[in-house]
Parts: sequence; C-alpha cells; structure tokens
Amino acid sequence: MSDLPPRYSRQVLFAEIGTAGQKRLLGSRVVIVGCGALGTVQAEALTRAGIGRLRLIDRDFIEESNLQRQTLFTEEDVREGLPKAVAARRRLQAINASVAVEDRVEDLNYRNAESLVEGADCILDGTDNFEARFLLNDLSQKRRIPWIYGAAVGSQGLTMTIVPGRTPCLRCVFESPPPPGTTPTCDTAGVLAPAVNLVASLQVAEALKILSGRLERINRSLVSLDVWQNTWRRLEIQSGLAGGDCPACHLGRYDFLEGERESSTAILCGRDSVQINQPSGQPLDFPQLGHRLELLGSVSYNRFLLRFRLKEFEIAVFPDGRGIVKGTRDPQEARSLYSRYIGN
Amino acid sequence: MPTSVRIPVQLRTLTGGQEVITGTGGSVLEIIEDIDRQYPGLKDRICESEGKVRRFVNIFLNEEDIRFLENLQTAVTEKDELSIIPAIAGG
Repeated sequence: MSDLPPRYSRQVLFAEIGTAGQKRLLGSRVVIVGCGALGTVQAEALTRAGIGRLRLIDRDFIEESNLQRQTLFTEEDVREGLPKAVAARRRLQAINASVAVEDRVEDLNYRNAESLVEGADCILDGTDNFEARFLLNDLSQKRRIPWIYGAAVGSQGLTMTIVPGRTPCLRCVFESPPPPGTTPTCDTAGVLAPAVNLVASLQVAEALKILSGRLERINRSLVSLDVWQNTWRRLEIQSGLAGGDCPACHLGRYDFLEGERESSTAILCGRDSVQINQPSGQPLDFPQLGHRLELLGSVSYNRFLLRFRLKEFEIAVFPDGRGIVKGTRDPQEARSLYSRYIGN
Repeated sequence: MPTSVRIPVQLRTLTGGQEVITGTGGSVLEIIEDIDRQYPGLKDRICESEGKVRRFVNIFLNEEDIRFLENLQTAVTEKDELSIIPAIAGG
C-alpha cells in the first residue's frame, strides 16, 4: 500500500479492491452525463474514490430548487448563476485535486455523443430524460463501453448495469421510450433526495466494480426500489426482446445514434420562441397532462393545443408532441424546459 | 383469493393512490382485465390496442419478466404477485 496516497487506505483495505484495484481506479476514465441529483452524487463519490479522469456533461444552470438534492451545489452557485458542470468541477477539485475533472456545458446528442465518450472506461447515467438514455444505450453498444442506467422520480428508483457482450441492454428491457407527456418527471411529480442518492450510490458501486476489474461482481438484475413504500426488488432480465432480437445489442442497429429518433429543435425567427419537434407516436392526453401541470403554473387547453405558462416562459404543445417554447431563443434552454415539464 | 398487483406511481391516479390492488383471473391478461373493470383506464395504460404490453412497460410475475414466460397468457395463481414496471425518466 506504500506507494498509494493514504487517503485511499480504507478502500485499499477492502480486499476485493486492494492495491491492484486502486491502481486501476487511479488510471480510469469516467464520463458522467447529466449533473443533477444523480450526477452530483456519482461525481462526488467517484472523485473521492480516486478515479483518474472525469468528464462531466450537463446543459443546464443551477436553480434554487436544485439545492434540496443536488449535493455539490451551494446558495452561492445559485447567486452566481453558474452552469452545473462548471460549479461541480470547482467543488470536485476542492475535494480531490488529483482527479482531472473536465466540465462540458453541452447537450449530449447524436452528433456529439461519440466524441464526448471517446476513451471512457465507463459511462454513468445522470440524465433526466429518455431520449438521452436510449442514445447512451446505443453509444455503449456501438463503442463497447459499459454504462449504468439509473433513474428516479418521487420516491421510486430503477437501475441496471449494462456491459456490452455480457449483459442485456436497456432496449432488451424497454424497447422504446414512452411518448412525451405520459410519464412523470422530477419537475412535475417531485423527487426525494434519498431515492436519487440510493440509485446514484448503487450506480457508483457498479462503476467501482467495473473500473477496479471485478466484472464478475456486477449486478445482473433490474433493481426497482421505493424508499417511501419500503420495497426493494431485483427483477430478472434477459437478453433480446421476447420472440426476437434486440435491435441494439443483437442486430447492431443504433436508431438513436443515427438521429432518426431524435427530435429536432428550431429557433422560430423573430418570435423569441423555439420549436421542438418530438413525434409522440400517439396523441397527447391533454386532460391528464393539464392535471399534472396545473399545480406548477397556469394551464389551458382545447382540442388543438395545450398552453402552460410558468414565469416568463410559455410552452405550447400540440397533440402530436410538437412544442413551442416561448420566452427564449436558446434551443438548449427550450429543450430542457420541454423535457422537464412535458417529458422526454 | 385474488392476486396482488403492484401499481407504479404513474398509474396510481387511476387507483385512488393505492400501490397494491388485487385482481382475479387465471392468466396475466385476465387479471389485467379484472383490474381494468375495477379501475377503468388501467388496461389502456398497460397494453396497446392490439392487446400487447406497451413497449416501455414491463410486467413481472414475482421476479420474472412475463415476455420470457407465456407473456399475457402466463398462468397466475393467488400466491403470485404481479408488478407493473414502466421505465422511469427523472434524475
């Protein structure tokens, strides 16, 4: 243990990591996509554990409502209006200066995804939407990089470890994302810090196994937990779709990485608005969506259009999933508002 | 004796907030039809119009994915527990 910094001694004493495992950790490269509640917990734990390099990717800025659960951020960060990735990097460097932390204030999409994960030994899911997760799944399969799915809303969480060639992938379990507007998000249904922290901690444990060379220890189930209903279940999963091959891990078809499934975003000239083209596959259920959103802002709808007003923004969505976000000309901000309130 | 069915948070608006409900039937499909009679709208949120399970929802019989059993025709007894697990987005 003598040539390793004493700060890692308790982890090195853990026999299955040991000196050899710690040395592998110190040389490892990790990408965390999304720097919200999941991402901040993952980033702090892996930085303290002594990984080699960490790339943090996030498209958002810190808001006061993040402080309840996003552990790296402070009131000062909110006042400074910092991007999450930048504030997180500053804090992480104060925690462990020997980890090379890089912040990327970007929206992960099919155009930049492959270059953003270049060289990674493991990708951790800290995102807040399905589109990014199905993209990460394709990316992981194509580039043969393990990724760890994790998600939480309300008091519930789900996580699953995907190692290409060794485990089923996300599309083996969930063939496609739900249509926008049909599932709760943290911005509509709320989220408890212990639910996200638990999921993030499980993801970190999986990353430590992968990075220290203990692949045989990974969790091969879908874990579903609820910290309020007191349930914790390990569900058995299998490779492939029932009665057929998985498009991603069996057939090598990377639909989300080819951009065919990605929604397109366009700034509407002179209108201080951004259009989001998100084909939903089935008509949006306005009464149900309206019911969820009316707690947060003002909602009105008819057969053709639902309008949701929140502070200086207004989101108008059509039954086919197309949306117009007013009050911004920034496609990333518009995309982010759409994901948070309409979903996906 | 009916079989217990665990309802995810997304569908609890249809069950009056209940997390566990019960349904009677000899197969997964019969149980879904029974809980839909008690809580109208549940089947539509779980199944597509052709009667297949929606592609972003999974149903587990105890710990096993029904797609790798007999799917909606999988036999169920009152000792079993069904769980409906949709993909989750937040984070």
